[in-house]
Amino acid sequence: MADAAGKHFSIHWRATTSRLLLAYGVFFVIWGTVLLGFIYWETLHYLESRTDLQLKQQIGYLRSLSEDHMLIALNDYVVLERTNYNAWGLFDANKTWLYGDVLQFPAGLTIDSDSVRMPTEQVIVGPFAPPTPMLSVIATHLPNGQILVLAHTTRIAARVGDITMHGLWWGISFTLVPGLLGGLILNLGPRRRIRLIESATQPIMHGDLRRRLPVSNRGDELDRLAAIVNDMLDQIERLMGEVKGVCDNIAHDLRTPLTRLRSQLYRVQQELNEEDPHASLIERCVFDVDEVLARFRALLRISELEDRRRREGFISVDLGETLERVHELYAPLAEDQSLRFELEIESGLIVQADPDLLFEALGNLVSNAIKFTPAGGWVGLSVRRASPSTARIEVADNGPGIPQAQRQAVWQRFYRGDASRAASGHGLGLSIVAAIAKLHDFELSIEGGDAGTRMGMECPLRPTG
Amino acid sequence: MFKSAWIYLPGRRMPHILVIEDDEITAREIVLELAAHGISADRASDGPQGLLRAQELRYDAITLDLMLPGTDGLTLVKQLREQGITTPVLMISALGDVDERVRGLRAGGDDYLTKPFAPDEMTARIEVLLRRQRQEQPAQTKLRVADLELDMIARTARRGSRELTLLPTEYRLLEFLMRYPGQVLTRAMIFESVWGLRFDPGTNLIDVHIARLRRKVDNDGEASLIRTMRGSGYRLG
Repeated sequence: MADAAGKHFSIHWRATTSRLLLAYGVFFVIWGTVLLGFIYWETLHYLESRTDLQLKQQIGYLRSLSEDHMLIALNDYVVLERTNYNAWGLFDANKTWLYGDVLQFPAGLTIDSDSVRMPTEQVIVGPFAPPTPMLSVIATHLPNGQILVLAHTTRIAARVGDITMHGLWWGISFTLVPGLLGGLILNLGPRRRIRLIESATQPIMHGDLRRRLPVSNRGDELDRLAAIVNDMLDQIERLMGEVKGVCDNIAHDLRTPLTRLRSQLYRVQQELNEEDPHASLIERCVFDVDEVLARFRALLRISELEDRRRREGFISVDLGETLERVHELYAPLAEDQSLRFELEIESGLIVQADPDLLFEALGNLVSNAIKFTPAGGWVGLSVRRASPSTARIEVADNGPGIPQAQRQAVWQRFYRGDASRAASGHGLGLSIVAAIAKLHDFELSIEGGDAGTRMGMECPLRPTG
Repeated sequence: MFKSAWIYLPGRRMPHILVIEDDEITAREIVLELAAHGISADRASDGPQGLLRAQELRYDAITLDLMLPGTDGLTLVKQLREQGITTPVLMISALGDVDERVRGLRAGGDDYLTKPFAPDEMTARIEVLLRRQRQEQPAQTKLRVADLELDMIARTARRGSRELTLLPTEYRLLEFLMRYPGQVLTRAMIFESVWGLRFDPGTNLIDVHIARLRRKVDNDGEASLIRTMRGSGYRLG
């Protein structure tokens, strides 16, 4: 489950829309930060220069007052400008404290120059200290030689910073969160369509070339892609049709002369006396033509089986019963070759299948096993539940076995292993089995060691209930 | 020289059948082959002609190529049946598909043969159709061939006074052979009728089943009642 969820998630985030959205989100965050940062910096700079100017003007004015006036003005100044923290300190020429909240001359402060910003704790300590980290400070020599220090908070600048940060935060939240959610919702549409396309391709991949991908009337990229694929499928279907047509024509053209040949040979055979020296020759000819006809029928049969439309005729088939019938049909053949032929079945295994074709496939497998197992050997036919949803039919023997390297090839048309060249047969039996299995979506496998083969057929069971 | 002994009943005329086939040589071979079995045949080379002939004369059977130029064989069979013509029809088609066969039989055909076919296979099927048509009188409960007797109600078989113990398949096989005594039955026909299957089961599968049946049916020292017809199939009696 966790795996599936993970996969689901990754599919979600791999979608084009999601990627675009994510990239755009990142870009937006960076751009927003840069923009607001710039505004913040500019504002701060402006406010600071304003503060500096103000401090300079104030200190200039205070300097021009007499000492008494100045002290009153300083107190007024602190009281009047409560909203902004203001503090002052008066020092003698040796920077020893005389009056004011600033108890110590701030280290590193140049007198009679522009205001500077320094950490609050360098300027003021104790209960009067303001809650801001930085202060603008300016100092000047009074006409009487004393030194006046004015400190002013940068609270406005800090507020501006806060507001900017809030702006950035809310802006990003309000843009990104609904944006991403909206993107996900937008994404659902294309994802649903992708799923539709995916499910439409399944039958096509299984050989039903008549199917096409769904095209909506939106005319977007997905539709254009689907239309391109559909055009391609049209072309493939046409070509396949042509190839099949050519094959059918060849088959049809060969059929008639073969039928004629067979019937004329047969008539010659009927007209010859059994003592005639040509009789056995003609008989061999008839036999050979029959072999050709059998091969011919098998080939046509395989191409018929490749037509997926046959699936429409599938019904519920009981595997156990089918195996019993196969066993009954082939038991005399096995007995005739002195083989032990065992049947082992489990009841209640039902699959969707064409019963005749299933019988034919199993018959071919059993007949093959009987053919290649030497006298005195053993052939087993069994079916059991392999998993809750599949059954496994197995045709086993203790014959010479099929070498690992040849196992895949045996399902191909006309393939016959080296060991089997001597035996009769047209080498199409297993190809028919493979074609039938493919039609049913049954899975074939070959196992077994050097001695003995186990041909397995894995069948999905019909869902119960 | 007749390999297959058509049993002529007194007062019965020679069976007469209609061959609807467009290929000249195939048609000639079919006609010749049928003649060799004592069956006379007329030929029609296309659908309309075939339909006309079938309406004019009461044939005993019809062979019909389903892939005629200009006509759909299935439609032809349907037309015949709609007009109340019940002549048995052996359909011959280049398509071996099971669906095609089912469609053909549903349209009113009686048997189905895939091209390319062996003419003896076709003749054997025609003979079975002819005989089946004649046998469509009251249902028999017992079959008798020589001293072989099959009781189809008790599902027992005896040879003379000897009771035969047969497995169900063996019984069905014997019953099929006894239904058409003196008649060549090909391996494909046996496989189709007894097992209900239509595929190539390999050459010797039917032979093995017949051999087992023979061991039970035949008396020691006598020639087998079930005769092997070289190249074609089997014949009882």
